[in-house]
Amino acid sequence: MFNVLRQQARAPLRRAYATQGYVPPAAANNIGQSMIPRFKPRPVSPTFYTGLPSYFENVNTLESAITTSRNILQNLQLLPLPKFARDALPESTPVWKGKDELGFQVETKLTTARYRRLVGLLTQLEEFRKIADTAGCVEVAESIGDVTVLFQRENRDAVLAGGKKKPVQFDKYGRTYTIGRRKESSARVWMIPVQGKSQKPAAAAASSVPSVQAPLPPAAEVNESQNEATSPDLTPFLSPKPLAKTEEPTEVTATNIIINNVPLIKYFPHSLDRERIMRPFRLAGLVGAYNVFAIARGGGTTGQSGAVALGVAKGIVAHAPEVQPLLKKAKLLRRDPRAVERKKTGRRKARKAFTWVRR
Amino acid sequence: MLSLASRSLPAGSALASASRNGTVQSVQVRGYAAPKGPAKIQKQGFVNKGKKKKFIQTVDPNKMKRIPAFKPLTANQLKSEIFHEDVKTELQLPVFRPDALTESNALAKVMEFPTQSNLINRFGVPKNLNIEYRILSKSCAVVRDITLTALDKLDAASASSSKDNRVVLTGSSGCGKSVVLLQAAEYCAGRGWIVMYVPRVHHTVDSSTAYIYDSRTRTYLQPRFSWQVLRRFLDVNTTLLQDLKTTKEFPVERKAPVQAGSPLTDLINVGLQDGSLAPSVLSSLMTELSRQKTYPVLLALDNFQALYTRTTRYRDPKFEAIKPYHLSVPRLFLEYASGKKTFARGAVVGALSEGRADFVTPLELCEALGLPFPRPAGPYVRRVPEIVDYSQGLQKLAVPEKLSIDEAASLFDVWNTDKALHSLPDDDLFMSKYSEASGNARAFVWKGLLATLTS
Repeated sequence: MFNVLRQQARAPLRRAYATQGYVPPAAANNIGQSMIPRFKPRPVSPTFYTGLPSYFENVNTLESAITTSRNILQNLQLLPLPKFARDALPESTPVWKGKDELGFQVETKLTTARYRRLVGLLTQLEEFRKIADTAGCVEVAESIGDVTVLFQRENRDAVLAGGKKKPVQFDKYGRTYTIGRRKESSARVWMIPVQGKSQKPAAAAASSVPSVQAPLPPAAEVNESQNEATSPDLTPFLSPKPLAKTEEPTEVTATNIIINNVPLIKYFPHSLDRERIMRPFRLAGLVGAYNVFAIARGGGTTGQSGAVALGVAKGIVAHAPEVQPLLKKAKLLRRDPRAVERKKTGRRKARKAFTWVRR
Repeated sequence: MLSLASRSLPAGSALASASRNGTVQSVQVRGYAAPKGPAKIQKQGFVNKGKKKKFIQTVDPNKMKRIPAFKPLTANQLKSEIFHEDVKTELQLPVFRPDALTESNALAKVMEFPTQSNLINRFGVPKNLNIEYRILSKSCAVVRDITLTALDKLDAASASSSKDNRVVLTGSSGCGKSVVLLQAAEYCAGRGWIVMYVPRVHHTVDSSTAYIYDSRTRTYLQPRFSWQVLRRFLDVNTTLLQDLKTTKEFPVERKAPVQAGSPLTDLINVGLQDGSLAPSVLSSLMTELSRQKTYPVLLALDNFQALYTRTTRYRDPKFEAIKPYHLSVPRLFLEYASGKKTFARGAVVGALSEGRADFVTPLELCEALGLPFPRPAGPYVRRVPEIVDYSQGLQKLAVPEKLSIDEAASLFDVWNTDKALHSLPDDDLFMSKYSEASGNARAFVWKGLLATLTS
């Protein structure tokens, strides 16, 4: 009732403009096409009258999507979430398109502020999608996901997997290929488990899991299986009892290391370099378990031996992953970042200064 | 008077108590002479001293424990073997006898060289082995696969002429060629061969021994070296040489000649009495030995490649370098090594020495033995025809680059028993040093075990 009164009160203030012009019939005969008023077509979107129609169209779409999904989630009592629930949500990993790509999509050259606004809206939408997905509202999550996926990169999985280290591959003979670097040197290292005479050589289609030769006297194994809680029985190592006649002596294999087609002893005349390469084997207790072939390039003896040692350590971890914490603790898996310091202007060398003169 | 004094003294003073007791002790109690009370401890840590700060850290003398005087332990208390340096352990090893050298008995075992043969004492050994045998309590060597191969070859050679049995031991530096040669010489001595072992053949060409031109033979004689060879040869092979007789008369200047049919020891003694005759005696001796068939003869030469050098260190009066085949002793060895002169029964065995820079294995010898030559040597590189001639017909016997694990373990055991290791003798040390050495014998022992101080 009050509405009607209001309209009547407003009526005399309204002016009626003629939107359609009155043309007398006689005058209509000689009118050219240009005289006939054309009606402006209604623009598709109200953003037509803005400076960046496509951009604002997208912004409006996203904002309406946010509003809709917020309402839905509120109806489903999923919003507002308590803190513990919010903390328990899984981490979201959206990979939004870059500024240029997104700008191409919205047909506008995006400034940083506008890009950030878009990404902000998308992040909010992704948040709602995550909540719906975690709550189990599949349809809601999917519908929101249909919107957000338009704004994500196509190589999303590749980008997410980019930062992680690739696992070391084994070839058909059970060899690993690792690379080590130190100073200016780099070494490519191939490692293969040593096969004793008792073992048959690996077939061409063998599995990629190699066997580790760990020489242990038979008595130690029996003891260890019985007393797992107590420390391992070391008496077989300290004073080995003579083997029974039926027992075969344990076959001991040696680690052969060849670098640039030259045996280790010839390639590194200094014992320090040889010991550096042997150190990962000694710490892991796997001396004699693997043969090493390495190609080292660049740098000098220390650099090349350090590079080979790193490659060897990585190879050992690939073959025997249980050793990884031990080698990590010993800093053998760390690429030594130390390199020659550059010469600076005003100094003779990196640190050495010119002779100081009083005047 | 005393009572007055006791009243005037402070109550707790020593003198007061002493006087009360009736005894007077001369202990001063006043001022600077008073006994010091408990020491005052200064404030510790950083203390302001004017503008600067001084760090004070003093030990509280009250808290200091009285450290008793150290006294040396008696000999009975010093039970650990670390204190018993004078006690020398001797290795207990099987003896390197020909009858003990079967594959099951001897392979990968360290055997000591018998002292009865006198070979090492009289002929000597190469320099690096000399150092080793000074450190070890016994002269010993590990019996390897290659040793048994070489000994089998020598057994086969004992019946045939040395022309067919001229063998050269080859292999990389430190793989064990000299040791195999020494084992071969010891084996032959044990088997009743006549052995001439020259451990340092390079001394004949490095101008370390006297030389004199002889116009009759038109070569340079080396009297001192020849005399040494005769001396040592006689000492080692006396019994066998007494059985053998000369076949030709040996003329001696201004003395009675050595008649045909006299023992070879007489011939040698002539050379020993007059050093200038030694080269010709040596030459005649070798001729006599090559004719006889009673005993096989072994000519064992270490550092063999020195004989084939293009120029020796000797100079002629024109200061041109003298060739090895123009010196008496190298010429003699070259002739037997090349087969120009042969023993009716016996062998010539040489061992190369690869680690030397002064006498590298020459191109002609490498080609004769089928060894790789490190420098480019196409058809336009000159090969000296005489040296090519002297290196014809030499057989190669390659010594393996690596010790087997068992052989290395035996060596490790020997050095450990002789208390030569500075590190804990566990399997980690053994395996790591063996792998670092890539199985090379010298590198394993000298650069690995004896050069390490690991925990």
